[in-house]
Amino acid sequence: MSVIRLGYVHIRVTDLARARAHYADTLGMDVVAEEANRVYLKSWDEDDHHSVVLEEGGVGLVKFGYKVTGADSLADLENRVAAFGATSVRMSKGDNVGIGDGLRVTLPSEHTLELYADVEYLGTKVGKLNPDPWPRDGIRGIGVPRINHALITAEDPAQLERFFELALGFRPAERLVGGDEPDDLVGSWMFCGENPHDIAFVKGPNGKLHHFAHQIDDWSALLRAGDVMSMDDVPIDFGPTRHGITRGGTIYFFDPSGNRNEVFSGGYRTGPDFRPITWTMDQAARGVNYTHREIDQEFLSVVT
Amino acid sequence: MPIITVHPAAVRVVAPPGRTIVESLRLAGWRSRYACRRGGCGTCKAPLLRGRVTYEQPLAESVLTAAERSAGLCLPCRAVPVDDIVIAQGEHSLRPILASSPCPPRPPFPEE
Repeated sequence: MSVIRLGYVHIRVTDLARARAHYADTLGMDVVAEEANRVYLKSWDEDDHHSVVLEEGGVGLVKFGYKVTGADSLADLENRVAAFGATSVRMSKGDNVGIGDGLRVTLPSEHTLELYADVEYLGTKVGKLNPDPWPRDGIRGIGVPRINHALITAEDPAQLERFFELALGFRPAERLVGGDEPDDLVGSWMFCGENPHDIAFVKGPNGKLHHFAHQIDDWSALLRAGDVMSMDDVPIDFGPTRHGITRGGTIYFFDPSGNRNEVFSGGYRTGPDFRPITWTMDQAARGVNYTHREIDQEFLSVVT
Repeated sequence: MPIITVHPAAVRVVAPPGRTIVESLRLAGWRSRYACRRGGCGTCKAPLLRGRVTYEQPLAESVLTAAERSAGLCLPCRAVPVDDIVIAQGEHSLRPILASSPCPPRPPFPEE
């Protein structure tokens, strides 16, 4: 399918300086561009211009971007979005720093999702010729290598799942259902490549962000990430622990404005022939936190 | 230093200078209702029954609206008591914890 992966998350922050310190010094991202009220950052193993944008004023999601395979797929996606009955507008090179022409889609859940193929290439910190496995002189804090996925909330998860499937070509890897009916959807974890999820959503208010996640190597990287969070007094939501859903390792934590972040490791491989997994509500706590089998009710309701 | 009283638990703790309500309670061994502790989620929002608080960092209007403020609500994870205050915690009572506050700045490595 033509959507490759999550490219960037653009969020609001109440205090740009504190947010910048969190994403640059605690997570270890590099600042690649700045405007009066915005900071653009990328992780060390990402090629493209940026993967996080911080904008001063408020909290929550401004928009997020998914990269597609080419300019020709944008026209196809535009038709499919229109056929679903959703709205989109063309965006132009320069609307976003470093990002080329694209399509700005308003999801049925009222989130703004941008699709683009052309993005300024900056390259990873280790290069493409005989590279080191990580940058010898350039890891700060956790040193997240790349962004991985986002989880948003939607009043009608079933409708949003249909949208991602029919309009954008995603497939569900795991589905959380409320009752006996498979259509009573509480949440869905969907992929466009071979990840266990590139986008996920659970039932909640439209337009809100539950969290976005950076991928890190493994369980020991998670524990080290937790060390850095303690050193920097980052509020932890929960973890380190394992998800039942996606089987990934996780720590959930909060940025200085209260937007939820995650570091995520592992997870299995999916693909076009992957058959979705079903979770029922009586096992939802195990699905979210497989180790502890108990979550605060607020985990599902706390969004920005 | 200002005294924080929490209803209905009737717990009273001291608010050290510059410390928020949530931090002051944590330092005194109480876990109140909160999630992000950074002013973003609104989980800790509570009625301020008496006294005044100040906010030393910018707040998102979407989290605590002007109308909510004038209706007497405060955001304990960001609110710093100015004088003695009383807040209500509703059905969510306080839970005793042992919490570590942020580390003080580390002293410089002694020179040889």
